[in-house]
Amino acid sequence: MTLLFVVLGTVFGFVLSRSGAADYNFIQSMFLFRSFQLYGIIGTAIVLTAPGLWLIKRRGRTALGKPLKIELKPEHRGNLSGGFLFGIGWSMAGMCPGPILVNIGEGKIYALAALTGALGGAAALGGVYRRLQSPFKLPPVFGAADVRLKPDATNARQFP
Amino acid sequence: MMPLILNGLTPIHWALGGAGIAAVTLTLLFVANRRLGISTSLDDLCSFVLPTPYFLRDAVVSGRTWRMPFAAGLMLGGFLSAILGGGWSPTWALGMFDDVIGFGPAGKLAWMFIGGLFIGFGTRLAGGCTSGHGIFGMSNFERPSLLSTLAFMAGGIVTTQLVYRVVFG
Repeated sequence: MTLLFVVLGTVFGFVLSRSGAADYNFIQSMFLFRSFQLYGIIGTAIVLTAPGLWLIKRRGRTALGKPLKIELKPEHRGNLSGGFLFGIGWSMAGMCPGPILVNIGEGKIYALAALTGALGGAAALGGVYRRLQSPFKLPPVFGAADVRLKPDATNARQFP
Repeated sequence: MMPLILNGLTPIHWALGGAGIAAVTLTLLFVANRRLGISTSLDDLCSFVLPTPYFLRDAVVSGRTWRMPFAAGLMLGGFLSAILGGGWSPTWALGMFDDVIGFGPAGKLAWMFIGGLFIGFGTRLAGGCTSGHGIFGMSNFERPSLLSTLAFMAGGIVTTQLVYRVVFG
């Protein structure tokens, strides 16, 4: 399976690299409404993924016959505020998390600074998570030590 | 069509780009039972140096075996894209940033680092990024993903409009 994940990541990275999704100019042009490229990419991806997901969920099993399991993301106040903060960063760097790695692969030196910042930002959020939990209604953290407290279906939905 | 910064290449059609993303997303779920999402990789990397309960939570540890190889693939994909498209060489080129804002290497590193801080903090607070919320969550009609996607599009539009039409306009 590990090889499959490397291959899927490579295809994904190549597509992001060649389509403009990992290109600073195309990201700015999207936010300036000067280019349709990124809207076309994201729109096509959703329009094609949605029916595919519907079919896979209707089948209820993976290609290997295992019960399908999709972790649903929790809704909380962090969706809007975190999303907006991320948007600021996406505009500044011209990269979202995947394209940071793609740009590093392409040889863009400054992308290393974006990765360092992103790790710092993720570490900072981890550091203040407990303090933000109540004001932002963030979900509890389930770790190996909290197995006892873990509900049976945290947020996973089984299909069908 | 505007060329890519990478070797001045002509980008592929947006429909082909979108189809490629959909193909990877669906294969990942159908074959490996995994939901596409990239920003959790940041937590994976943090957990190697910060083994706190937050970074070692189930949601991170259980998905590491697919996210880390996938992240390595993303870098490899960018590398192959350069090699097969005119050659790979380290570069500082940043397109319209160079034309309009014009900071040198040190300024670029600082700008990118600050942008990165927003990316890391924001995606983890929102619980996902363009892939997990924007592609998978939107395709699965999940409300938190719609909210997050609207918010990060708004954040990007406001920031770019401010930077390129007001501050450096």
